[in-house]
Amino acid sequence: MTEPIDTSIYSAVTAAIQTEAQRILAAGLVTAIVGYAASRRNGSTQPIIVTDAAAAEKLIFTPASVNNLALYLTKAKKEIPKKGKIGIVVKGCDLKAIVGLMGEAQLKRNDLYLIGVPCAGVLASTVQPSTALTADTIASKCTECDARLPSDCDYVPNVQLPTQPQLAGKYAVEIARLEALTPAERWAYWKEQFAKCIKCYACRQVCPFCFCEQCLCDRNKPQMVDTTPRPAGNTAWHIVRAMHLAGRCAGCAECERVCPMDIPLNLLNRKMAKELKELYDYEAGFEVNDKGPLTTYTDKDDQSFIK
Amino acid sequence: MHPEKQTHDFEPKIIAFVCTWCTYAGADLAGTSRMQYPANVRVLKFPCTGRIDPVFILKAFQQGADGVLVSGCHPGDCHYIAGNFHARRRFAAFRKLLEFVGVDLNRLQFSWVSAAEGGKWVEVVTDLTEKVRAMGPMTEFKELAMEEQWSGAINTPELKEAYSQI
Repeated sequence: MTEPIDTSIYSAVTAAIQTEAQRILAAGLVTAIVGYAASRRNGSTQPIIVTDAAAAEKLIFTPASVNNLALYLTKAKKEIPKKGKIGIVVKGCDLKAIVGLMGEAQLKRNDLYLIGVPCAGVLASTVQPSTALTADTIASKCTECDARLPSDCDYVPNVQLPTQPQLAGKYAVEIARLEALTPAERWAYWKEQFAKCIKCYACRQVCPFCFCEQCLCDRNKPQMVDTTPRPAGNTAWHIVRAMHLAGRCAGCAECERVCPMDIPLNLLNRKMAKELKELYDYEAGFEVNDKGPLTTYTDKDDQSFIK
Repeated sequence: MHPEKQTHDFEPKIIAFVCTWCTYAGADLAGTSRMQYPANVRVLKFPCTGRIDPVFILKAFQQGADGVLVSGCHPGDCHYIAGNFHARRRFAAFRKLLEFVGVDLNRLQFSWVSAAEGGKWVEVVTDLTEKVRAMGPMTEFKELAMEEQWSGAINTPELKEAYSQI
């Protein structure tokens, strides 16, 4: 079944982004815009930082615009106040990450000029960037997306999102499958997955929320997580990673996209998001919250598991 | 005076992460009251349950613990006002994660034991020890720690090609 997905709005979105980028750069509203530009491989895109109104025409948006550009704000956030406002092209999932970072006081809304993109979905990391977007080639995260239209942006192109075919949520299906297994079967599954890890830390480098200057997993006095790519250290790393992102992860699935060994990393994040929704009714969204579910508490939290 | 000492085939190692203000004092009370409890438990004292990082539990399992106990002040009694409330949420989430990864949650016990509850400490430790003893040694994490090198399966065409070119 390869049901095509309508991405005809992306040409209008591209034109609108270019016009808006040119306007705000020329007017001096922003000093730079982080967006997507065509890359060398046919159909692919890469992140670009545009600082000149004349170069605004390089900005595009296609089904291959997979990156979460919020990453470039966290790594460069110390420079922002000096240089002035920064414009950024965001999909709904990327905006959730920016909102999460604002909640954690890593970014200020006033430093940003958000160009929201009405998004019909992007391609999975496993297909060539020139592939047409269908129900089979769409990224897993897009099958359960509830944020196609970003809200509270400074500018959103005025296009009508086409109606989407109903897609089966790939993560929900996989989580349900794993939950139905016995603990020993789940352990065997994850043991095989974690054994693949080569500790390249691409998942950490690409995550907008992994902004600690020194990661717990890099410390060696005391060494909490073995740094070599051996099974013990791999398992500990992935558990710690999932735990540190619990209640913070915006679900952009960049970790899974960049993983060279195809470990289903976002599955752990989605599982934690699901549990936190059940336990504390918390979900990553477009509303800035100062406190996440694990940094706050109530007197009446469930403690049925505590003796 | 002392009950007859039983011998077992398997003596589990239990690591107890306890808060200094309540459970440690509770365990101390059990000791000064001459209450008997299994010597399988190794107590590690922390300022507060809020200081107990989930990674400590992982480390304990990797280093050979068969069971882990995390214990602190009852809700509302925290010396630091809210440390145990935060810990409660964190461990609720951590349990779900471990469960999803495939760890048997019967090996991981949480409890509130106040400084006056020497008897409860004895009960919690005895119950966990007996439960873990019945389950046998925790092998999953230890097996991982024994593996000395990268052990991923070379089972995709790309990996096979790369491997054959070495």
